[in-house]
Amino acid sequence: MNDEMASDVRMCAACPKMCRHVCPTFFAWRSDAPTPHGRALLLHQEIKGVRELDERAIQVLYQCLECSHCLTWCKPEIDIASIVESRRTELAEEGRQPTAIKDLVSIVRSNHNPFDEPHSKRLEKLELPTSKNPDIVYFTGCTSAYQEEEIANSTINVLSRLGFKVALLEDEWCCASPLFRTGSLEAALEQANHNVEILNAHSAEKIVVSCPGCLRALTIDYPKHGLEITKPIYHISQFLDMHRDGLGETDPSIQVTYHDPCHLGRHCNVYDEPRRVIESISGIPPSEMERNRENAMCCGNGAGLRLMYPDASKKIGRERIEQALRTGSKLLLSTCPFCKNLLKQQAGDEIEVLDLVEFVDKYTKDVN
Amino acid sequence: MIDSDKFGELVEKLHTLLGSDYVTVQQTDKVLNAHDAWPLSEAKIRAGELLPLADIIVFPSTTREVSEILKIANKFLIPVIPVGGGAGTCGGTLAIYGGIQLDMKRFDKILEIDETSMMVHVEAGVVGVDLEEYLNRHGYTSGHTPTSVRSSNIGGFIATRSGGSMSSLYGKIEDLTLGLEFVLPSGEVIFCKPVPRHSVGPDLRQLFIGSEGTLGVITKATLRIFPLPEERRFRSVSVKDVSTGLEIIRKIFRAGISPSIIRLYDPEDTAFSVSTHFDVAEGDCMLMLAFDGSTSKNDLDEATVMEICIAEGGNDFGAGPAERWWNHRFDMYYPSPFTTSGYAIGDTIDVVATYDKLENVYHSMKSAMEAHEAVVLSHFSHMYPNGGSIYMIFFTAQPDAESAWATYKKIWDDGVAACLKEGGTMSHQHGVGLSRSTYVVDELESAFSVLKSIKEKLDPNGIMNPGKLGLEVRK
Repeated sequence: MNDEMASDVRMCAACPKMCRHVCPTFFAWRSDAPTPHGRALLLHQEIKGVRELDERAIQVLYQCLECSHCLTWCKPEIDIASIVESRRTELAEEGRQPTAIKDLVSIVRSNHNPFDEPHSKRLEKLELPTSKNPDIVYFTGCTSAYQEEEIANSTINVLSRLGFKVALLEDEWCCASPLFRTGSLEAALEQANHNVEILNAHSAEKIVVSCPGCLRALTIDYPKHGLEITKPIYHISQFLDMHRDGLGETDPSIQVTYHDPCHLGRHCNVYDEPRRVIESISGIPPSEMERNRENAMCCGNGAGLRLMYPDASKKIGRERIEQALRTGSKLLLSTCPFCKNLLKQQAGDEIEVLDLVEFVDKYTKDVN
Repeated sequence: MIDSDKFGELVEKLHTLLGSDYVTVQQTDKVLNAHDAWPLSEAKIRAGELLPLADIIVFPSTTREVSEILKIANKFLIPVIPVGGGAGTCGGTLAIYGGIQLDMKRFDKILEIDETSMMVHVEAGVVGVDLEEYLNRHGYTSGHTPTSVRSSNIGGFIATRSGGSMSSLYGKIEDLTLGLEFVLPSGEVIFCKPVPRHSVGPDLRQLFIGSEGTLGVITKATLRIFPLPEERRFRSVSVKDVSTGLEIIRKIFRAGISPSIIRLYDPEDTAFSVSTHFDVAEGDCMLMLAFDGSTSKNDLDEATVMEICIAEGGNDFGAGPAERWWNHRFDMYYPSPFTTSGYAIGDTIDVVATYDKLENVYHSMKSAMEAHEAVVLSHFSHMYPNGGSIYMIFFTAQPDAESAWATYKKIWDDGVAACLKEGGTMSHQHGVGLSRSTYVVDELESAFSVLKSIKEKLDPNGIMNPGKLGLEVRK
């Protein structure tokens, strides 16, 4: 914790709670503990030497989704998510991470994915492209590889339809997003170093990712730690936006709403590209939820929350579904496999939840 | 504090009633739940001081649970401090004698909009902004949007007799509350059924509005709602002094016009809040207005108001300053490096008086507060046909905590004394809580005995929020 962070938590700790109304964990627990100012107060008291972090305080720090929604509403622009992550990193160094997070670190180190799946089966569910001399490396990310393979397969299909030769990496490791976010820096850098090595060694000129967590890790976290990938990296929504003309058309009567993933929106500032893709193929822009773009509510599936507090995570996801339902849309699109996974589970059959690339793959007819 | 055996028994009973997820004795939870928005609490937090803590926090979600908690508390003779959004500015939810903090945040359901009778039924823990957004979605407004609206709850509004920034048109919460469900200290649940008016003796609803948790717990309420106005139109006029501004406001009401917003900034507040963005002559005061209604109605009201303003020598500033205030009205509420550096502390003494006394109250309080080298900025807002409130805002910075807290208290003591001496009332909308508790006897004079008798009758064991509202103050 540096001086700037100390000054920030001092202000945030004694704020009259100007952002609490959008904090998803306040929504889930309805308590002043898992809130931005609550976390700041714990850190402020620790810095001032008033009170050490006890076990419950550490729990409160791990009840943060790091969604950064509070930052949208903070006039002094205090980035509590980053401060929490910084303290989580120190807690890891002190050996004081929650057991569930320690287990997660161990699983990723062994299997290179957070789902405890064998690394050897990483590409097992995917329809592997056979292109020679590929021009794109598709970094699938763990969720698309193991749990949301429809997204990976649609990505391969759509990129192929656009005329690109796509390569997948058998030895892709977890991007380490869950490890960075939970403060497990040492293990994160192990994964990152490996990925940088194989991505830089590959002959393809571009990298496309499905997962905003991967995008943030590869483009922000890796460089922050001196790890540079020497080729451009695109989220699939950015890439589709660059090639909108070839995407085809959907039935314009299908009303669509769009959920901004925190990592893509607030953390990587990608808001317009997915919307342009939707408008391009539907002929109409998405029906916006009241909370959209910088003010979009988190889906509830981030920074280890679902792992440790599944009920709270689901409650947040369900609320996001309620917000989507209020638009009257038939389809809720996201651009994050992690978001889709939780939102789909919470949607039941009330609204269909798809990733943008699945929408493009399955709902469009070729204009040519 | 009760002995450890009894405390264990108490915790066990609460666990049985609510389940372990909704009872906590964790120190971390107590620390985080102690934090309200009293500027002195906030300054103490920044200085690294610990606030008084409850012994237990409970999170009920039904009226029955609240009722049972109060019965248990009466049996164990332990204080109960109801907490809403934790957004109060007077320390009203601080557990100064320990006890059970009864956190109402799980009472978070908006039950029903009744469009026929134009009212909404809500639980007490609904956050103000959540209700307002919900109503807006249906084409209505609560008319109640205080600066704390993002963090304060319906129950807290009612418990503190709060006022929104548009109270001149829509009224304060005591005008907006049609019905109540209330749990008495004995655990008995009573209802004040929603009716527009009645003649069945004194209005008991008004006994509980503003009771600040000292007479029981608000669990549900029925509030008035209004159609969203077709437009909100802003207008601003500078005037040469406070006296002229107040004369204009009086004439506006005499003309039968009720703007939704009427704010008159004194020269210091104009210089601080307005002149930084608009070219206002030094020493002038800014009058900011808003009109809610149809275009044709606003045309008429605005024209009449401007005639009054121009006749009194006002200079038309168009929509600018008023509209800017509206769009930035939450900014002042955020901490900033300027307002939080060192042992800086600022607060607002919001008072109210009739027009015949209002200007004297202002001058007298300003002198008394400035005598302690405080920077004092003031505006008149929440104006009504018979008078209105003054926001006496002050800042002081001292070299150490001890002198900062002492200076803060002197400014309050002398400011309130000056207000009372000139015939003002020492709180318009922030309530009493802890910060004004010692002034209640002087404010109510002989009528305080009535409040005290009611308290003793309804809460004979004195368990409900002791030390607040001048009641059950212990050594």
